[in-house]
Amino acid sequence: MSDRAVLQQALDRIATLGARQEPAAYEVDGLTPQLVVAPDSPAALQEILSLANEAGLATVPWGGGTQMGLGNLPRAFDLAIDLRKLNAIVQYEPDDLTVAVQAGCTLGELGAKLGAHGQMLPVDFPTADRTTIGGLVATGLSGPRRYGYGALRDLLIGITFALPSGQLSRGGGMVVKNVSGYDMMRLHYGALGSLGVIVQLNFKVIPKPRAERTVVAAYRRLSDAAEAALQVRFSQLAPTAIVLLDALSAQGVGLEMPGWVVSLRCEGPATAVQRQADRISEVVRPAADRVEVLEGHESERLWTEVGGSIGAGRLGRAIRVRIGQTPSELPRLAEEIDRARTGLVVELSRLLDIGSGLCYATLAAERDEDLQLAWQRLSGLGLHATLLTAPPGVKVDTDVFGRQPAGLAVMRALKETFDPNRILNPGRFIGRL
Amino acid sequence: MDRQALQERLLRIVGPDGIIDDPDELLVYEYDASDEVFAGHHRPDITVLPRTADQVQEIVKLANEFGVPVTPRGAGTGLAGAALAVRGGILVVMTRMNRVLEINERDGYAIVEPGVINLELSQLTQPRGYFFAPDPSSQRACTIGGNVANNSGGPHCLKYGVTSNHILGLEVVLPNGERIWTGGPAPESPGIDLTGVLVGSEGTLGIVTKVMVRLTRLPEAVNVLLAAFADLESASQATSAIIASGILPAALEMMDHLTIKAVEAAFHAGYPEDAGAVLLIELDGLAEIVAESADRVVELCRGCGATEVRVARTPRERELLWLGRKSAFGAMGRLAPNYYLVDTTVPRTKLPPTMRTVEELSREYRLRIANVFHAGDGNLHPLVLFDRFVPGEIERVLRCTTDILQYCVDVGGTLSGEHGIGLEKRDYMTLIFTTEDLCAMAGLKRSFDPRELFNPDKVFPSGFSCGEVNAIRQQAMAKRLGIEFV
Repeated sequence: MSDRAVLQQALDRIATLGARQEPAAYEVDGLTPQLVVAPDSPAALQEILSLANEAGLATVPWGGGTQMGLGNLPRAFDLAIDLRKLNAIVQYEPDDLTVAVQAGCTLGELGAKLGAHGQMLPVDFPTADRTTIGGLVATGLSGPRRYGYGALRDLLIGITFALPSGQLSRGGGMVVKNVSGYDMMRLHYGALGSLGVIVQLNFKVIPKPRAERTVVAAYRRLSDAAEAALQVRFSQLAPTAIVLLDALSAQGVGLEMPGWVVSLRCEGPATAVQRQADRISEVVRPAADRVEVLEGHESERLWTEVGGSIGAGRLGRAIRVRIGQTPSELPRLAEEIDRARTGLVVELSRLLDIGSGLCYATLAAERDEDLQLAWQRLSGLGLHATLLTAPPGVKVDTDVFGRQPAGLAVMRALKETFDPNRILNPGRFIGRL
Repeated sequence: MDRQALQERLLRIVGPDGIIDDPDELLVYEYDASDEVFAGHHRPDITVLPRTADQVQEIVKLANEFGVPVTPRGAGTGLAGAALAVRGGILVVMTRMNRVLEINERDGYAIVEPGVINLELSQLTQPRGYFFAPDPSSQRACTIGGNVANNSGGPHCLKYGVTSNHILGLEVVLPNGERIWTGGPAPESPGIDLTGVLVGSEGTLGIVTKVMVRLTRLPEAVNVLLAAFADLESASQATSAIIASGILPAALEMMDHLTIKAVEAAFHAGYPEDAGAVLLIELDGLAEIVAESADRVVELCRGCGATEVRVARTPRERELLWLGRKSAFGAMGRLAPNYYLVDTTVPRTKLPPTMRTVEELSREYRLRIANVFHAGDGNLHPLVLFDRFVPGEIERVLRCTTDILQYCVDVGGTLSGEHGIGLEKRDYMTLIFTTEDLCAMAGLKRSFDPRELFNPDKVFPSGFSCGEVNAIRQQAMAKRLGIEFV
């Protein structure tokens, strides 16, 4: 049999193992798969993977498709596995503050279930009704609330994943403290589904704060804004998120304020939140033009919008770059980014996660060349840089994960072990793995 | 192996004072804090104490050249035997690499060598307003490197998370002799989270030579409460009630009657000696939140039948309460010549029935069991007391602890909460993991250490080799394809 015939035979068999979907809706950087299949059980997924592995099908695991801007250009794309039918909340123990959920469950569904028991996962995305838990873990995206609660990485207590061989393996468990065996959760966090397909994730969940407020302060100068934000960070006050936005970025999240805007989120019991917001306001007021306090839903909505400014969804004629830098150096980085676009006709918005040490720069331009050049310049800044999303033309001849890390050889070895036939997201992960 | 040649080459790397070959001095390195009765003692061929990362790298390269096992070791306080050179070879003791290289107050991190003592780092950073949150009970002796290897816990991990949540980056010498940095002070380093994978890998994937740790800001207010109960069960119920209420204490520790008596006799910490169990509850954070939570915790404890709730008013009172808890293992010597500490975690709501079962097993096996543990995260530490010279007692201890483990696993718990698998629990791994689970872990191991030189015979069950991974994989494949596998 010819290679082509083998491939077709595998696709035909795979097509019987789940619901078929329309390929056009599963585009990755301009490529669409020959087949999209949505298995409704882990066993079906295992079988699909094992067939795909044997036939060497380039396979992309698919969640809600909301963060598909992340990744290098795929080397090939034969098969998309839509995981949204694996969406059960497998086990929820409110009194233990733990939950086990299948990868295809959306953040919204899980949030509603947890919310009914006064609990939550502390991540906010405007696309919560589509974004899947598996997708969030695979892309390693956590919002600025990680400052107060830890990233999803730190809340993961267990994982089940399917390997290309068809093997189903687990790590961790359903308890909040566990050192039995290797940390397979962190192995898969942010690995872009390149080492296995995430089937189930277990988390420790957080009691939902009874109240929240956000202190918003506007400044004419970046240095004043940064000083205020850093002063709170350095104090014993305990906001759960601290971000600094330039005017365009502030506008993007619905804050009509000129200059630089500092947003600080306070969560907890009502009286404590009020006191804390008052104390934070005092700290940030001296150099501010304006200080406002958002309460309840208004506060919550702001942070959901912030979640939209840090994601890896496709943006049309724009790129988003995430740069890691120590919090105290972030303001300087913001200026460097502005200088780096000199001579390029791009529109720039910057959001600095002062709590955690990350900067999100979104740059819009008409021409791919300008965006490409902008990424080239930005990729050298900070401690590390990732091109979170870009039009396919911008991704040509570059690694969207930036400079090669020292551990790339080990990462290659891991890929070789877990996915020797290179069927999972081929070419898309770091170093074109 | 040409031992003589290896020794000469090692001598050139670490110098005469960096190598131990005197049999008397070597004796201490045949043991760690695990009980010899269960872990045995194991003599390394050569013990080296490097002073620099360069030396560590050279040692690992040499081990590769000679094909001998490498076992990394910190202060040797581990309870699971992970620092024992089971197959001989080179024992690399990291205690001389004990410099604090950088403390960055502004951004809240420090870079330390792995031999730095856990408590010393917190003591050093406290005047600047910071501490290192993981605080295992052995923190006066254990090293940061050891904490990294075991993903150590401690009372304050309830609120602040285990070691892994506090490690930002690592400089590590990989089994092939390559030395790399992973992670860094900013999160989300691109690529696979090698830092996260290395933490808790018990020295089986490499030797850490520098650690970048997150420093945590000292809280504005701290409040320590002591609640006394008639029995373990009501104290366990209070624990569940506190956790379910949404309050997250910094620490929530439990001690039973036996422990209270031993601790009181040894340290006079001021625990009520007639209590069946006490909870030690620390609340920290913003003054307003601490005050509000403290009131609520008192209420919840009373609701579960607390006979007395006491609040430590002064730092001195606080310290005393904590001293009792942190010295509890040491006080056990007053009760019996030996104890076997079982470290296991159950879902928090399963604490009451688990404690009941431990009591039943204590009666069944005629062994006294003291309980002192991290109740807040369901991390039990039953201490089975015994005398190794009483015939038959060791066997009974083993049967009893196996039963405890099996029960914990049956109710959804795990083998080890914070002490690690090491040598001690490797053969229990099949209680919670399938062959396919273990194969994936073996695949991870093999990716780092294809020659299996690093800390051999740990974590994986005896007889389980990475070679099985391929066999299993073929089997799985064959099964799917309907082929008979021979």
